[in-house]
Amino acid sequence: MTVDAVANRAGSIKSRWRTRGAPSRPGTLYLLCWFCGSVLLAFLVIPLVALATHQSAQNLGEVAGMADVRAAIALSLEGAFLSATLAALAGVPLAYGLARTRFPGKGMVAALIDLPLAVPHTVAGIALLMVFGRQGIFGEPLQTLVGLRFWGTLAGIVVAMLFVSAPYTVNAARIGFEAVDPRLEQIARTLGLGPWRTFLRITLPLAWHSIMTGVTLTYARSISEFGAVVILVYYPMTAPVMIYELFLRFGLEQAAGAAVLLLIVSLALFVLLRALAQRGTPAPGNR
Amino acid sequence: MSAATAAVAVEALSLTLGVFRLKKLSFALARGGILVILGPNGSGKSVTLETIAGFHRPDGGCVLFGGRDVTALPPERRRVGFVVQNFGLFPHLSVAQNVAIGRRAASAAMAHDARLPAHGDPQALLSYFGIAHLAERAPGGLSPGEKQRVALARAVASTPDLFLFDEPFSALDSGTRDQLRQELKSFLRALAIPAIFVTHDHDDALALADTMIMLRDGAVAQSGSAAEIFRKPANSFVARFVGVQNILPGQLIAQSDGVFTLAVGERTLRAAGPPNAVNPGASLLLAIRAEDVTLSRAGIASEPPGAVNRLQGRVVGSRTIGPLVAVQIDCGFALKAYLLAPQWQAMKLGPDAPVMAAVAPNAIHLMNE
Repeated sequence: MTVDAVANRAGSIKSRWRTRGAPSRPGTLYLLCWFCGSVLLAFLVIPLVALATHQSAQNLGEVAGMADVRAAIALSLEGAFLSATLAALAGVPLAYGLARTRFPGKGMVAALIDLPLAVPHTVAGIALLMVFGRQGIFGEPLQTLVGLRFWGTLAGIVVAMLFVSAPYTVNAARIGFEAVDPRLEQIARTLGLGPWRTFLRITLPLAWHSIMTGVTLTYARSISEFGAVVILVYYPMTAPVMIYELFLRFGLEQAAGAAVLLLIVSLALFVLLRALAQRGTPAPGNR
Repeated sequence: MSAATAAVAVEALSLTLGVFRLKKLSFALARGGILVILGPNGSGKSVTLETIAGFHRPDGGCVLFGGRDVTALPPERRRVGFVVQNFGLFPHLSVAQNVAIGRRAASAAMAHDARLPAHGDPQALLSYFGIAHLAERAPGGLSPGEKQRVALARAVASTPDLFLFDEPFSALDSGTRDQLRQELKSFLRALAIPAIFVTHDHDDALALADTMIMLRDGAVAQSGSAAEIFRKPANSFVARFVGVQNILPGQLIAQSDGVFTLAVGERTLRAAGPPNAVNPGASLLLAIRAEDVTLSRAGIASEPPGAVNRLQGRVVGSRTIGPLVAVQIDCGFALKAYLLAPQWQAMKLGPDAPVMAAVAPNAIHLMNE
């Protein structure tokens, strides 16, 4: 690195920290904002740090060695992957429809999509039981007709995860599509691209970052889901259910070990998905 | 020019789209010409352009390209080049990819259209428009002039029969606008592809138009050359829109030898008038451009008496507009004059000073409504 490069880098770091629209010396308002913000940030981070540092490597290794814990984490990841995939497959078209069409009752549809976010998850679990349970509206005919069962199966876990987490994908994708200037789509059409190619070459790449952000949130929310899953499907156990079970049967130490394992795995995946979302975005600095 | 021989013809186009309505709109454009559609916001300019591009199915009427009815075709099969505000480059693609995207969609036969520069080859097109050095750049960092060239190259790559411009300059400062207008005009001349240019800006219209139509509430208020519309507006709506500052109600007293004598308030004015005869006593509107009103200090006769309308009045106020000064005069009725700033300063006239205004009869345009 040359001296100039070092100076440039120092300059860019300095300019990054300059507050927007404010004099270079931070005012009382900004100091107060950051003071309050720090309290919240600490509140969010400290419990996770405490959890992680509480564990000895030996204890962690021991828990990781337990086959049922590993199976539970794997099941969580698998369920969340399927849930995020389904959310993307159905939610992205829905989001595009909402972003590009106008119809009476559109506000109602948007509110319906947000509804699962407002419903307590145990309530969602009971509602899902009425539909996908043994005597449920879909549960019973699907079992008799095609042998698809939602109780005690991965399918049930996915249904529970999807119900509580799909809104994140739909909402984020919708915001992403709405941010794509319809004029760009019109131009693509005049250049000879049909509606499908326009969507694939122009609209989808431009909304990609938002869609992936939504899918990542759906994935993360699916992994963490407990309430709906535990009511619809207790066994086989996903990781959160397993942690709850360990806590009840063996106490804090055992539960905390599994909790840290789950934390590590989900954080790693979260980082990976965010990186994937970034990769699909337009080259930097051209928006 | 009949609809069959025109490069582009719109016939009795009707469309209702939310608050916008097109009311049996008809116009035609010769091969290689530039048609400017001028009109205020909400007059239906953009909707007209989008209907020609194929984004709206009209309720009635048709759109013809060189006699070929395209009314039922989707946009991707119409072969139009569409240029919008800020030029609408695809931000996730490089300049070269922007230019190449349409060519890939065009058929091989289209891509070798001999009428076009470089036969639709993207690399040669970039060179033609002087942007080969920008090929790998992202559009976000380009100057407005560079963006315009990329937008034109991209449109040309898809071998259009017609260019459509929807206020491409409306977000630019006036200096850049002027430069880009000149450049666009010379490119369009060289390409000989007809173009329709929608704007609400007078300067765009005057600089670019071969022919012009003025739109009002989805109908043609006037069509003709730019000079005709600016000098001889059909009615007070067009006159106001093209910047006629003085619109005065008058009554026809007499006419002889093509000279019309009119009463405006207490004053009498002579106008060269329209060629068509109007009955004495008829109410007319007088359109006088502020730059056609000359001022002199009261008592100094700069023109021989009788050749011009001379109006004794008083200065009400003055206001600087760029290099001009707009002087408001009261001469029985309100009259506005544009002077170059140094001329006005040299006259040393303050508010309430007596002043002599002069208007040549042929600078007074008469309108029925």
